[in-house]
Amino acid sequence: MEYQRRNFLKLMGVGGAFTLLPVGLVRAATTPNPEDRAVYISASAGEHDDYYVSAFNASGKILFEQALPGRGHDIGLRPNHVDVAAVERRPGLYGLILDRHTGEVRAKLHCPEDRRFYGHAIYSNDGRYLYITENDFDHARGVVSVWDAEDSYRRVAEFDSFGTGPHELHLMPDGEHLVIANGGLHTHPDQDGRTPLNISSMEPNLSIIERRTGKLVHQAALKHDWHKLSIRHLDVAANGTIAAGFQYQGDLTDQVPLVGIWQPGSEIRPIEAPDNVQYRMRQYCGSVRFDASGQVFGISCPRGGLVTFWDAQTNDFLTHIAAPDGCGLAATNQAGEFVGTSGLGNGWRMDAIRRKRVELPDDSHESLHWDNHLRRIQA
Amino acid sequence: MIFKPSWRSLLLSTTTVFAVGLSTPGAKADIPDENYQPVLAHLLGTVMPPKIDEFHAASEELTEGFRDFCSDPDNGGLEETRAAYHAAMDIWQEIQPWRMGPLVANGRDQHIEYWPDKHGTAARQFRKLMFDKPAAYTDPEQLSGASAALQGFPALEEVLFADDHGNQMIAADENGVFLCQYGTAIATNLGTLSGELQAEWPDFATAMENAGPDSMDYPSAKFAATDLYRALHEGLLIISTQKLARPLGENAEDARASRGESPLAGRSLRNIEHNLIGLFAIYDGTWGDIGEEGQGLAALIDNSLLDRSFKLNWQTVADTVADLPPSVAEVLVQSDGYATLSDLKGQIEFLTMLVENDVGGNTQLGGGFNALDGD
Repeated sequence: MEYQRRNFLKLMGVGGAFTLLPVGLVRAATTPNPEDRAVYISASAGEHDDYYVSAFNASGKILFEQALPGRGHDIGLRPNHVDVAAVERRPGLYGLILDRHTGEVRAKLHCPEDRRFYGHAIYSNDGRYLYITENDFDHARGVVSVWDAEDSYRRVAEFDSFGTGPHELHLMPDGEHLVIANGGLHTHPDQDGRTPLNISSMEPNLSIIERRTGKLVHQAALKHDWHKLSIRHLDVAANGTIAAGFQYQGDLTDQVPLVGIWQPGSEIRPIEAPDNVQYRMRQYCGSVRFDASGQVFGISCPRGGLVTFWDAQTNDFLTHIAAPDGCGLAATNQAGEFVGTSGLGNGWRMDAIRRKRVELPDDSHESLHWDNHLRRIQA
Repeated sequence: MIFKPSWRSLLLSTTTVFAVGLSTPGAKADIPDENYQPVLAHLLGTVMPPKIDEFHAASEELTEGFRDFCSDPDNGGLEETRAAYHAAMDIWQEIQPWRMGPLVANGRDQHIEYWPDKHGTAARQFRKLMFDKPAAYTDPEQLSGASAALQGFPALEEVLFADDHGNQMIAADENGVFLCQYGTAIATNLGTLSGELQAEWPDFATAMENAGPDSMDYPSAKFAATDLYRALHEGLLIISTQKLARPLGENAEDARASRGESPLAGRSLRNIEHNLIGLFAIYDGTWGDIGEEGQGLAALIDNSLLDRSFKLNWQTVADTVADLPPSVAEVLVQSDGYATLSDLKGQIEFLTMLVENDVGGNTQLGGGFNALDGD
């Protein structure tokens, strides 16, 4: 592990070796740092079943809190626009379109009676369409709904997700395809909408569909022995590499991978941390995020209170940083650097290359429980 | 879940009596981080090291026992070796639930005991081993690089208790000679593994005791203590969901003692008895004659009634297990055997609930907004 990390540090230009980093990624001391203007946005909660979308700046200072009717999950960012989409976590009924600067509600989305939102949404690159993962619970079928942002967020289409229990979805770098993590878990609102009903037969997969037609173009699953690994969260690098985090539905002592790398067209490649870290991941990954360079990705493990970091080029584990109840992760503009948030109210800046964790200086963000996912908005 | 009325009423009544007047955990102020540090120091620095020493000594005695037996095999030697196996297994089962740090590093816990073996890997590999009798498996160093299923307690159990292996070793026939050499190598390997554990534990304990904001592993004493709480909680979960649920199966017809832990050595329930000793140490701070009462997680609970209630409930369950025969097979052949084991599983689940609600709540170690209810 130490050897891998040393080699990685050399490649990243840390520790005396020459740098391969693009010049643009190296912070110039004399120019204003774009990170100083960055805004981070996330679902959050107060102490009394009160839920919000909240934003804070790079120092951790709260910029706004917008109350939600129920617990949120992830935030979708409309490119080059003030809109952000907050979709209720599963089994969700509402979606709100908010102003990213103020939190003001700009539009409301209503889930059809026979569907439930699953917490994740993503916009097309032109900002026209919003895609949301949903559960067609009567047919145990995942769907991706399409909403036209230029037509008052009218629901205009619905595609098959090609799996059960779709969760996070992302746009592929070509802007024309969506990759969907089908977690494999069937749930039904009549049975609380969250309890898995099919663990013994679950079949998670990663699917890529054309965003305009819904046509399936790639799909991959783990080997059957690992069918209880619910593939829930993912991120996509600029080169099309997909990193995925799993949540295991089997026994505590089973030894299973919790992270996978997928190059569409090939098999999902499972990767593991050293035993003492793998064990501390507690069979559960909460969110996945590539850094600004696309060379490192972070995977948070809130049950173990860890964020793990991985080298996307060699598929090696890099390091881990303890983060009690940490889950939200967003990449800053610096290679290997992330901002993380926790359900205990913490906000940290984390450096995967130097293995450093620093609390955000402004403590106003500590008044909230930060939920699963964190997004960065470049102001 | 099926409870015998007597156990249900005993456990519930104990809780009900002592629950009167207990305050809700949420109403309490945060426990200062420095309060967790003495608990870490006591459990990791005072209580655990002598137990690891004991495990290492038991492994070494097992190795010596094997060597003595194999130099001049007879029935008495076999029984002595089996007794040495049980002694080493007893202390291992007490340590086993402390799943943290060096215990899980490099797959050490699995190398010491590969279980549960859901696909019957060990038995299959063992049959092949007996057919081929490769010399590499009689060399402890080479054995340490072999499949985990072939290098720890389950493999040793096959050697000592399966089929006609005991008689073969006494007869010193071709199989017996190989079994003797292989068994000695396994015991030696266990000595190596326990020695590594012994060597690595102090640094781990120091890191936990020195938890603080500068540590990338344990940024607070409370966070470090969470590992102890989880070991207690998960240790109970593993007993109910694996050590008991697996042999119990779906119903009485589906029950199979062979799916339990250590079935050949006839000690599936004896293992649980010793698991409970090691787990209780995490709560109470005493482990046999080591440690000090009330200096485990209990030190963080500012409520003597709740503490007494928890200990009484735990003792009730420990007594239940102690009164049972050591093997699941011996219980299942009794007319009410299935119900007896189901009762025990229910009692363990009840303890798990107490740990979640009372210990987790009052020590403030069982929470987590995302950890408990993520998506």
